[in-house]
Amino acid sequence: MTRRRTTLIVLAWNCWDLTKRCLDTLRQTDLTDAEVLVVDNGSTDETPRALRDYAWLKVLTNAANLGYVGGNNAGIEAADPTSDVVLLNNDLEFGQRDWLERLRACAHSAADAGIVGCRLVLPDGRLLHAGTYILPDTMWGQQIGSLEKDIGQYASTREVDGIVFACAYVKREVLQAVGGLSQDFRSYFEDTDFCLRARQAGFRTLLCGEVTLTHNEHGSTRTDSDGFLRVFQESRERFRKKWAKTIEARYGREVLWQSIMNFPSGYATSCREILRALDRGGVRVTYRYVYGPGTPFPVVEPESNGDYLLNVIRNRPSERRPQFGIVYGQGDVFLRNRGRRKVGFTMLEVDGFPRDWVAQANRMDEVWVPTEFNRRGFLESGLKRTISKIPLGVDPNYFHPGIAGHPNPMGEFLFLSNFEWGERKEPWLLLKVFNQEFSAREPVRLLCKIINRDPSVRVLDEIRRLELKESGGRISFLFNREFPYYQLGSFYRSADCFISAGRGEGWDMPLMEAMACGLPTIATDWGAHAEFVTEAISYPLRVKGTIPAVAKCPYYEGFSWADPDPEHLRFLLREVYENREEARRRGAAAAREMAEKWTWDHSAGKILARLEELGG
Amino acid sequence: MVSDSDETALRIARLEARVAKLETILAERSRLLRVLTRELCDEDLMNLSLLAGGLPPIARSGFGLLGWRETTALSSGDVDRTMEQLWRSVAPPAPEEE
Repeated sequence: MTRRRTTLIVLAWNCWDLTKRCLDTLRQTDLTDAEVLVVDNGSTDETPRALRDYAWLKVLTNAANLGYVGGNNAGIEAADPTSDVVLLNNDLEFGQRDWLERLRACAHSAADAGIVGCRLVLPDGRLLHAGTYILPDTMWGQQIGSLEKDIGQYASTREVDGIVFACAYVKREVLQAVGGLSQDFRSYFEDTDFCLRARQAGFRTLLCGEVTLTHNEHGSTRTDSDGFLRVFQESRERFRKKWAKTIEARYGREVLWQSIMNFPSGYATSCREILRALDRGGVRVTYRYVYGPGTPFPVVEPESNGDYLLNVIRNRPSERRPQFGIVYGQGDVFLRNRGRRKVGFTMLEVDGFPRDWVAQANRMDEVWVPTEFNRRGFLESGLKRTISKIPLGVDPNYFHPGIAGHPNPMGEFLFLSNFEWGERKEPWLLLKVFNQEFSAREPVRLLCKIINRDPSVRVLDEIRRLELKESGGRISFLFNREFPYYQLGSFYRSADCFISAGRGEGWDMPLMEAMACGLPTIATDWGAHAEFVTEAISYPLRVKGTIPAVAKCPYYEGFSWADPDPEHLRFLLREVYENREEARRRGAAAAREMAEKWTWDHSAGKILARLEELGG
Repeated sequence: MVSDSDETALRIARLEARVAKLETILAERSRLLRVLTRELCDEDLMNLSLLAGGLPPIARSGFGLLGWRETTALSSGDVDRTMEQLWRSVAPPAPEEE
């Protein structure tokens, strides 16, 4: 197959130092079948003179500054009319030699791939851009990436609403179909506008996660903040008039989601992920805090969690009695459901459900749980309503084998476990068995990330009572240390094996996240784990049977949970440590399976399908 | 008998000696601060400043039982820096005895 010729259009207006760095780094990359065209947009500094020394590129000189749109359109006009084009800002730096070939391959991977962008990082390494989205509520395009540390997130190719045109590969077919950038915009919104026009013409916008460039953002406008704001507001208003109806049409249905979002809890973490996935799936979600008076959680939930999309969802007005209400939380708050049709969505770590939960669940139109384990437990506890299985998931953009880890530079093998101290997680078993099985002389370590919020518990005393041997397997602790959620993949990737050897789980997101990162995992073969833990992709830990679930949690009273087998745990620890090739194989298989079957988009898909059947 | 000028000269000499001593102390203190800034992690530096100011140090999450500080408060950190600190704090296993 012949390679399509590509014209790289670098738009420059003053700031020669940036342009020089851009061109000098660009020259070091593979520019096969490409020509470089610099559009000097009426620069008044040394740019025109300095460009004369760059004989390897073409220069188009505009007599005056035509703005971002005018300058780029002039470049597109001047480009080889059979070539694809790549629009490039002059404040980019190219540190990846094959960037062009990868973008080109991505653009030509499908006939309907039209525009391709890449990951952009700031010079300090924070992730600036991995695509954009725009919400009808605010009509303000948002960059995906949130200035997080770059740990390798968004490394795959995926479809996005839009990209910023600091670097945009545009296929010739798109230019033929929609023309150049819209003159309605002098600057800002022209890129989203172009992506929307391309979509109307049948072309998708992709973000190629294999390419990362450095962007010194707003090189030409950062020194003029008044000018920036004026141009931005004018463009935003024009954009609203042109696209409001199209963008509002992204939502096909509405639901009220009553849950918890901004407190540290498993429900809150999964709630945030489900809301994002539902939004991607075309559901206009409104949100209300379901806890407060009469529950262990505070009366008022903090308003912001720093996430633009979730804050917008949280602040949306909702009808007093919307058609569909979904309560996602413990079963004793189901009756707070405000929908005309009511769904209660919950989970529990033991083999049955409390009487009060069942009573409230029986007043719902339908009940959702993530696992067969919970479905059976609810029915056996007296549930009379329809019960559907809606699995939870994992975000493969943040949990995948390419995420950067921080393994021990001395090469020790690291077992990792991440849990809240307490009866359910049975930490004593893991600590004792690991310490007994290994010797301090072996290059192996167990790292336990422990959280304890219970002031009546003294974790140190409980560990000391285990009388762990100095000569036994070495254990390190991260006590009450919180990491930003987006960095957890990096934490898992720092280890060689993840262990979840507790007594019961409602789902176990950390386990699934570690599996998605490609780690071999040892997990109790009981409860929710049975949903996604198999011999082929993990090391299921045998249980001796079930025992009464004795813990501080009142929900567990009268029910049972697993009794993991210490001898088998010991065997599995040694097995993973000794047979690393097989362990790696299972970890890699787990990562593939998580990405193929268990993402949040799969969860949202199941929710959408169920709402469809319910007439929502 | 000591003249006024002798007394002034003596006083100047004493003062000069005092200044020289202070300069030495200052230089030593600057050297120490440079070493501390270079060698200590941010958390240690922060705690040093707090202690020097008469304030209690921030709770440290120990990597082992020795440095353990029992608390229900959570401390936040980045994964890269935490892991770097952890690996700095652990020694490789002792070699097998022959």
